[in-house]
Amino acid sequence: MTDNLIDTTDPNDHPSLMSPGALGRLLQPVRLKLLAATLLSAIAAAAGLAPYIAIAEIGRHTLSLSSGSFAHDKLWLWVTIGLLGAFLRLLLTFFSSRIGHYADAEILHNIRVRIVRHLGILPLGWFRYKGASAVKKVMTNDLEEMHQLIAHSLRETVGAAVAILVGSAYLVAVDWRMGSVTISVLALMFVSYRIAMRSITLHMSKLLAAEARISSASVEYADGISVVKTFGTSGRMMRRFAKAVDEHTKAMSAWVSETKYSSALARLLASEMTVFGVVMVSGLFFVRSGSLAIGDLIPFLIVGIGLPTSIVPAIHGGQGLRKGRLSAGNIENLLNRKPLPEPSQPQNVQGHRIIFNGVSFAYDGHNMVLKNINMTCEPGTVTALVGPSGAGKSTLANLLPRFYDVTAGSICIGGVDIRSIPSKHLLTSMSLVFQDIVLLRDTVAENIRIGKPRASFSEIKEAAQAAQIHHVIEQLPNGYDTILGSGSSGLSGGERQRLTIARAILSGAPIVILDEATASLDPDSELAVQDALSKLASGKTMIVIAHRLHTIKEADQIVVIDRGQIVETGKHNELIVANGLYSRMWNAQQKNQNQYDKETI
Amino acid sequence: MIKKLYNLWPEPGLLIRLGALHAINAVLQGVLLGMLIPVLRVLLQPKPDFSAAEPWLIVGGIGLFVYAILTIIATPVGFTASMELTAKLRHRVMEHITSLPLGWFTTEQKARMARSITADVGNAPNLAVTIGAPAITATLVPATLILVTFFVDWRIALLLLSIMVLALVALRHAGNVAAIADEELEETATEIAGRAVELGQAQTVLRAAGLGVTGTSRMQEALEGHRITYRKGLQKSMWPDLTYTGVVMGGFIALIVLGTQLLVDGTLSVPDTIALFVIAVRFLEPLGSLIELIGALRAMNNAVTRVQGILDTPSLPKRNNGIKTVEDADITLENVRYSYGNNLALNGVSFHCPPGSTTALVGASGSGKTTVIRIIARFFDIDSGTVRIGGKEITSYDYDSLMQHIAVIFQDVYLFDTSIEDNLRLAKPDASKAELAKAAELACLDEMIGRLPNGWETRVGEAGTSLSGGERQRVSIARAFLKDAPIVLIDEASSALDPENEQAISRAIANLAGDGKRTVIVIAHRPTTLAAATQVVALHEGQVVELGNPAELRIGNGVFSKLYKQYEKARSWYIQKEY
Repeated sequence: MTDNLIDTTDPNDHPSLMSPGALGRLLQPVRLKLLAATLLSAIAAAAGLAPYIAIAEIGRHTLSLSSGSFAHDKLWLWVTIGLLGAFLRLLLTFFSSRIGHYADAEILHNIRVRIVRHLGILPLGWFRYKGASAVKKVMTNDLEEMHQLIAHSLRETVGAAVAILVGSAYLVAVDWRMGSVTISVLALMFVSYRIAMRSITLHMSKLLAAEARISSASVEYADGISVVKTFGTSGRMMRRFAKAVDEHTKAMSAWVSETKYSSALARLLASEMTVFGVVMVSGLFFVRSGSLAIGDLIPFLIVGIGLPTSIVPAIHGGQGLRKGRLSAGNIENLLNRKPLPEPSQPQNVQGHRIIFNGVSFAYDGHNMVLKNINMTCEPGTVTALVGPSGAGKSTLANLLPRFYDVTAGSICIGGVDIRSIPSKHLLTSMSLVFQDIVLLRDTVAENIRIGKPRASFSEIKEAAQAAQIHHVIEQLPNGYDTILGSGSSGLSGGERQRLTIARAILSGAPIVILDEATASLDPDSELAVQDALSKLASGKTMIVIAHRLHTIKEADQIVVIDRGQIVETGKHNELIVANGLYSRMWNAQQKNQNQYDKETI
Repeated sequence: MIKKLYNLWPEPGLLIRLGALHAINAVLQGVLLGMLIPVLRVLLQPKPDFSAAEPWLIVGGIGLFVYAILTIIATPVGFTASMELTAKLRHRVMEHITSLPLGWFTTEQKARMARSITADVGNAPNLAVTIGAPAITATLVPATLILVTFFVDWRIALLLLSIMVLALVALRHAGNVAAIADEELEETATEIAGRAVELGQAQTVLRAAGLGVTGTSRMQEALEGHRITYRKGLQKSMWPDLTYTGVVMGGFIALIVLGTQLLVDGTLSVPDTIALFVIAVRFLEPLGSLIELIGALRAMNNAVTRVQGILDTPSLPKRNNGIKTVEDADITLENVRYSYGNNLALNGVSFHCPPGSTTALVGASGSGKTTVIRIIARFFDIDSGTVRIGGKEITSYDYDSLMQHIAVIFQDVYLFDTSIEDNLRLAKPDASKAELAKAAELACLDEMIGRLPNGWETRVGEAGTSLSGGERQRVSIARAFLKDAPIVLIDEASSALDPENEQAISRAIANLAGDGKRTVIVIAHRPTTLAAATQVVALHEGQVVELGNPAELRIGNGVFSKLYKQYEKARSWYIQKEY
């Protein structure tokens, strides 16, 4: 819920076409290479016309003389020019492509490194609501779209444009009237193409919306498949899908019927045969009227007819450019996102007393999820946060590692506002054990070692033993060197959780935050995790969020939170006597427990 | 490729007609260009003879007109074909999906399916239409022109023919190399994608370890690996690309040299040479654009392969005259074996559940509990052994009728984005208000409905997200009451619920199992549920290790007793510091 709030109030997140200037900034490190590649591609395109022009000139030359008496050396000169042109085209294309792709490889790497670095300084809360998939999208999909732009679209579009320009110039030089006729066909084609594409944005967004509905209908069907099948009510679901497909077809045919003539015309005009027809009709007309030498018709038959071939890639290249710019926009948005402010004057922490001082917090800056929280956690004590779901317990715990910064008030550790502690020091001082277990796709040993990068192997083993996971690791195919897969890896949820606890034990951080650490576990593995947690707890300042109240009944202080506010604070016995929310929750749970006891006796 | 397309659309009439249209048009283009030869022969004279050219010009004019008409027709026909084929294919894929065994629907498969049904199903016909046309043109026009050239000069014709052969060979090679390079690059890109996900998830851990701004060493390796593979791939695929361009450019050079030589020799007349030049250029140009189609062709191939992959998944075998009713609600498993791929999940499981009994399945995660439930609900068919319901093999029943007799309550309950009432009615569309209320009461859902802003009318949000896990499971239990199936399979929520939910679910399951009317199999995680069972089946690594009455088994020293003690101990644990 709260995630949406953040999303809508964040103007930075809307992808937008980036101005070319911003694109230029992103590509700055390889600007010279890109320029060189584009230039070479342009020259290559021009050189590629040489064989055409050579053939045309040979024809013109032979026809300009009375038959049989043409100058051989002039013919062979054109042969040589054509030959050189073809060779040059090949050579330059080679270099252009090589430089372009190398620039691409380099900039992809460069931008990825920059993204990683920038992610490292963003507020942690960003990852909570954007999620890992957003990181993945920007590092793979968006960058690949940009790759199209860098490695292909730019060079190809410029190359095509140069070919058209040089070709047209040559034709105009041969005969300006015929040249103009040929160019006007191209211009007409361009106009009809624009007409055909005029509403592409509107129709594309309609089609995409229809596709999204198809996707969600099919996903809903698949998600609910077991329900659908076991209740035999697939008809209703299929209707939804069929409706979405129909809508898609309708949107498509609306677009088609609107543009079918203009795009058919564009296609006809883009065809070589159209230029061929126009050249023949107008050329023969001029020849017959005596104003055009028959030889001057040849360049139009050879170079002119080929011009539309260059235009189509130029148009497609334009679309590639647009997509690339969109993706570049996404990347730049991420890189421009404001990092978590680091203290300008870092201060030294004295001890580990945690003080929440009138803390209020709102995800969106307005709707307070936490209101005026005041509490102190003495070093070496256990503080339990309890309360109904949605009361704000997890949010409160997330403020301590600065997933988000407080909206009002302050949080101090060892007398220093956490905003004045360098984030690395802050995070090293605490261990977070949450429901969502985070393991790296690396060896078991590395997964524990990351808690203390310089730890020796025996330290790692000790931590694993303390976390009751050593014997499990020993049984893995490669022991501590087993690489954990992204998904299963053969470890159960409880075993994975114990690995993260071993990591926390190794780090020896003085503050431990447990957020429902055993909640998502099989009861079968719960006990082992609990033992591991007991080991972790020794001597630490703990903040524990728990549903099951008996797990925290020995806590040094229990803080009861309801609707973002502290309603009660005290030890278990005191709160039971106080007869407030805690006492009511405790009684409800006890009733359940008693019922079970009764049944099992 | 064409065969693959044919497999997707068994009635390919539209595609064939469209292809034929483009083929006719391509040949027509070649013939029209060929008509330049007689025209230029009479015109390229010191005194052009227009009257001799006239018949040719008139025929050519008509030809061009026909060409224009065909081109204009082809556009809407292509659009329509693409649209119709997409819709047809979508329905076909979806219909096939509905016939697949429930076991197919894993998270991964669902993601694949969503992608295929939107992107791939749209792209395949679109590409078939949009690159089909230029591919036909780019091969048939040159082929026709070679034929035409043979009538004028066999030497130049042979040259063109050999260029075409060389070009096609180079093209094939380029395609193969690029495919391999793509695959290798895809691998490193997948690695980066995985590392990127990790980077997002493990940010806190990385920062605490001081790796926030650099990522793990493996991340850096992945980035570097991508750069290196990319460069290598480029070097590999650049050569075949250049070879192809080289063949086309070489063709130009050979043509100019040969043509000029023949002209100088005097063995080819001036008009014929020039006409052949024009034709040869038209021959080389479409050939040059073929390489640009390779990428699109590969994209189409990938899309088609993915869609075909779904269509090739075997559906659950249907029996035409299967048994429609379940006589007795007893369940027997005999020596059942089942593997997920190479992972043996059940290794000879046998047990019997009498009608009206409650069987609790226990065991560590991965012991095969969930698989037992799934094979009874026929998510998939077993490898060997037998599963009998009411004394008859499960496969002898009509699938839909069998499902009428089984209610399944899953851990992750899926709710449709409609009202609570509609979600319940799925189980019995014509249920009366009183029946609904009764089911809700038995499932301990009534107090929750009372709390919701719009009561029964409250929308549950997509996938039921606005309700908690425990509340969703209660909806699912209410469905089971409403359906009143004689067999109920339950996968009890394993994660810790808040106390209210836990209590409500325990009560609801007790209501379901306790009245002795239903045969219940429950994957049990809570002592309450365990104690209420008539028999306990303890599983370990796909085998039954203990079977019997829970009260007796608890006293012994076996798996169940150990598990039970663990549950008890876990329930009374509290945080205390070890000094």
